[in-house]
Amino acid sequence: MINFEDLKTQWAKQPEAKAPENGTKSIVVKINAMRKKQLITNIVLVATLLVLIGFFFYVMAYRDQVVLWGLVTMMGALLLRIVIEIRGVRVLSKLNSGLDVQQFKMRMIRFYQQRKAVHLVLTPLVLLAYCWGFVRLLPAFKANLSAGFYTYILVSSVVLIVFFTFFIGNHVRKELKILKSLKQT
Amino acid sequence: MKLKQDQFEKLYQTHYPKVMRLCMGYVKGEVDLAKDLAQEVFIKVWENLGSFRNESAVGTWIYRITVNTCLVQIRMKRSSQDNLAIDQLRASEEVAGYDYEKHLKRLYACINKLDPTAKGIILLELEGLRQKEIAAVMGLSHEAVRVRIHRIKNKLTKCVQDDKL
Repeated sequence: MINFEDLKTQWAKQPEAKAPENGTKSIVVKINAMRKKQLITNIVLVATLLVLIGFFFYVMAYRDQVVLWGLVTMMGALLLRIVIEIRGVRVLSKLNSGLDVQQFKMRMIRFYQQRKAVHLVLTPLVLLAYCWGFVRLLPAFKANLSAGFYTYILVSSVVLIVFFTFFIGNHVRKELKILKSLKQT
Repeated sequence: MKLKQDQFEKLYQTHYPKVMRLCMGYVKGEVDLAKDLAQEVFIKVWENLGSFRNESAVGTWIYRITVNTCLVQIRMKRSSQDNLAIDQLRASEEVAGYDYEKHLKRLYACINKLDPTAKGIILLELEGLRQKEIAAVMGLSHEAVRVRIHRIKNKLTKCVQDDKL
């Protein structure tokens, strides 16, 4: 007959895991790599934004109101979603893990509830705005591009939008599952 | 910076074995996963060392970071294979007989079947923390911890004996 004290003895008998040699150095290296990666991400995002703005002026999109609003809506929707996502990652990584488990859990719940609001209200709006902007651009594409290229843009964009809708939907489902598990325990 | 590095090195050497053992409890004894979690814990210790105000003992603070980190990672990576370890174990036991390592694996599998808060409480109890310290880590009252420990102990012992929870 096993009792809890036997389990405790068994637990204590486990061989002690020794701290790896150069363990702290590898941690500092990892932290520096994470910071570098964050910096590269920021540079890529800023560069993308600059390219988009450059393209906007290059094609003189401001001359045609329809093209102007189509592009602005698509770029704005994309930018908004990226900013929200980056902010979410930052807020999550800055949550104070030194809090007691209950307090930390409450903050996690608050974070995921805010994300739920973003996912269920803002994300569909962003997606709709993106699609609206794209549809607004279609006549300009049709007028200025060859029939083959126009069809390519149309088909690839629809495939891309469907793919991203599933991708985002999957991500949202995962986060809602985390929120549910946080609330249950 | 040098002072922070020295302080961190000392904390790392002192607390690594405890952190590692707690992480092992969260990942059914899988060493590589536990090592990743332990590294994640010490990244947070390094990042938050400057803001640690000695409001609690440093050991309690590190235990809090460990439990919170393990809970977050496990919620994110929770797979549908939660029952796999114990099932595989049953099959292998029939062939190889019963020994210490298998008994320990069964204990890990039973711990894994507890809800996340219960898991945290019992792992700290197994580590030999006083109930007052467990309460400080978990953010529960001493009384609540006392009652829960009693229930979880019974549940865990029964699971190890019967393979049921």
